[in-house]
Amino acid sequence: MESSHRRGAMRGYLYVLPALAVYVVFAVLPALHTAYLSLFDWDGVTLGSWVGLDNYREVFRNPVLLRSLVNALALVVFFSFVPILTGLLTTALLSRYRRPGMGVYRLLFMLPQIVPLVAVGVTWRWLYGDDGLVNEALRAVGLDGITRAWLGDFDTALIAVGLVGTWVLSGLCTMLFLSGVHKVDPSLYEAARLDGAGPVREFVSVTLPQLRGELAIALTVTMVAALASFDIVYVTTNGGPGEQTTVPGLLVYRLAFSDGDVGLASALGVVLSCLILGLVYVVNRLSRSET
Amino acid sequence: MAATDRGTVRRRAVASTRVLCLAVLLAACGALTPGSGYDANNGRPRAVPSSTAVPDGDVTLRLNFADAPEMVDALAAAFEEKHPRIDVRPQYTQFADYVKSLKLTMTSDTAPDIAQYAIGMDALAQRGDILDLAPYRDAYGWRDAFPASSLAQLTAGRGESLYGVPVGLSMTGLYVNRELAATAGISRPPRTLAEFETRLAAAKRAGLTPLSIGALDSGGLHLWAALVNVLTPPETYRAWVDGRDGATIETEGALKAAELVAAWAAKGYFDPSANGTAQVDSTARFTRGESVFLVNGNWAAGQLVGAMGENVGFFPMPGPDASARSVASGFSVAYSVSSRTRHPEAAGAFLDFLASPEAASIVAANGFLPPDPDTDAVPEQKGVLGEVAAAHRRVVADDGTNQFPDFTAPSMLDRLRSGVQRLIAARVGPAEFLAEIQDVWEAHHGK
Repeated sequence: MESSHRRGAMRGYLYVLPALAVYVVFAVLPALHTAYLSLFDWDGVTLGSWVGLDNYREVFRNPVLLRSLVNALALVVFFSFVPILTGLLTTALLSRYRRPGMGVYRLLFMLPQIVPLVAVGVTWRWLYGDDGLVNEALRAVGLDGITRAWLGDFDTALIAVGLVGTWVLSGLCTMLFLSGVHKVDPSLYEAARLDGAGPVREFVSVTLPQLRGELAIALTVTMVAALASFDIVYVTTNGGPGEQTTVPGLLVYRLAFSDGDVGLASALGVVLSCLILGLVYVVNRLSRSET
Repeated sequence: MAATDRGTVRRRAVASTRVLCLAVLLAACGALTPGSGYDANNGRPRAVPSSTAVPDGDVTLRLNFADAPEMVDALAAAFEEKHPRIDVRPQYTQFADYVKSLKLTMTSDTAPDIAQYAIGMDALAQRGDILDLAPYRDAYGWRDAFPASSLAQLTAGRGESLYGVPVGLSMTGLYVNRELAATAGISRPPRTLAEFETRLAAAKRAGLTPLSIGALDSGGLHLWAALVNVLTPPETYRAWVDGRDGATIETEGALKAAELVAAWAAKGYFDPSANGTAQVDSTARFTRGESVFLVNGNWAAGQLVGAMGENVGFFPMPGPDASARSVASGFSVAYSVSSRTRHPEAAGAFLDFLASPEAASIVAANGFLPPDPDTDAVPEQKGVLGEVAAAHRRVVADDGTNQFPDFTAPSMLDRLRSGVQRLIAARVGPAEFLAEIQDVWEAHHGK
């Protein structure tokens, strides 16, 4: 009895093996290799030299690298929090009654997702430009005083880049929440309405708790997008002006491929991965403990 | 009892599997020691032979490059006509990708015979991945064929050695919109730096944007470098670019240059959105008449003539007094020879062809400045192209071609770009700006 049980378990592993092998070879080993490389001073070609944890010390001492981590955290506000709030608001407005034409809404929300991020970045660079649509619109309503090259201004560049992320990710969050609302048992809404709940009360007491799973997914996906951002920043500002919009993804690329400092690039990559894993863990714990 | 046995066996199996896994991992790591597979210069020559004879036989030369595909194709075709048994196969890669993959390409067993000289070649020269061309310089007489300053840029910081041969040169300077300048009361190009400042002030008073720079990418550092060129003795600056011991950018002249950039920004001489404007965009605005002057290089001349015709002029950044040596940033598109090539003689013949009048006329036809400005092969140019050529002739005569500052270290371009942006936005002081750049230099060249 017991041995057949165990054989069953072994057979289970056998089924997992192909996928596991692929995962180990293409994800786990490269990650371990990166962590290993982070302990070396290596230019990418010649024999590297062992430096222990020096690269990590550099990550936390170098003001530019530290700055990039802070910027990435600031982007979380625009890539995660604002899109999730927007998504919740849209969902609240759209989900109370089933209306015809929801398919069109869904298509519209999905659009930013299917455009390549580089194209998104280039388009927004034009929009934010001196004679771009943003400034044109401001001038049209008489706000000439505040027009500027938004991506070139030290005070506005990070916000401008962040808003591009908001534009890209709001639709994704809305989609997620709308599909989540669909599985809510209509009787819950009915009960709430019978108890005299208004739209706000209904949303807070019924919709929001039912969306906890979707919220966790949205938070995870968007936070990873914020912390690992590269494409949008690379195309719009390349980290400038100054180090105002420099993000870790950009520096990993620069350090490894332009500066020939593969060890430091790997160390920054490892720190970034740990940061992401830590935050994702917190999000998952929070969403689970309330269930 | 049997169950316990099985339990022990199982635990042992698990334990030994774990040990095995760890061992495999460690072994894998050992083999993956970064760079352990790198084959150091084992028996490859470090320099080319000293004879100019090209052995008989069919030869294919692979040429990797990143600039001016039409020019390279034309050069290859013209060369093959002279040497029918040598087949030159150009392989084009976009500049940014070329620079990023250069190190791997040149250290691989499939390295091309000839490759365009770019940042990073100094390290490759150090390791012996590219050949010292000094024997050819003497055998072919290249010292007469090329200006001293353009050969001096190709020594990879190693004195008498030579690691590349120039094809066409670039040079930065200032363009002027003649009509706009006239409305601001400016009638002729400035002869001194002080005169240039007066003109900027005059343009500002006339309600115009005096100077357009694309500081989002490299426009800002071109301006700073242009000022450093005229305010610092070229020898001091070149020692710094070459990474000589004890060289520094924290000099009086470089500080003055940084102070001028900051002061001009504070006085509103630049486009207010300079930090958010790319070089191409700043050039486009200049052609639309949105600024009086523009910082850019000879590579923009063709585009500017097309858009503005007679209305555009060019002059190099003027020095402190009218008789000062004419110094400008510039670099040559140049080619190096891999130490893995099996045909160094054929490669030498190709490089020597680049010194010929025929090559010079191909280079000029493609918008580059031939290395020797006095060559008779190139017809006299009119308009702004003629002004660029004249300025270039003066700079070469004064031995005044300075390498771009980002050639100092691989990470210098990004530091300079963001540094000048902060200088313009008054987020960093001139002295601090120089100290930061010097830090990047120390990290790369320091002991």
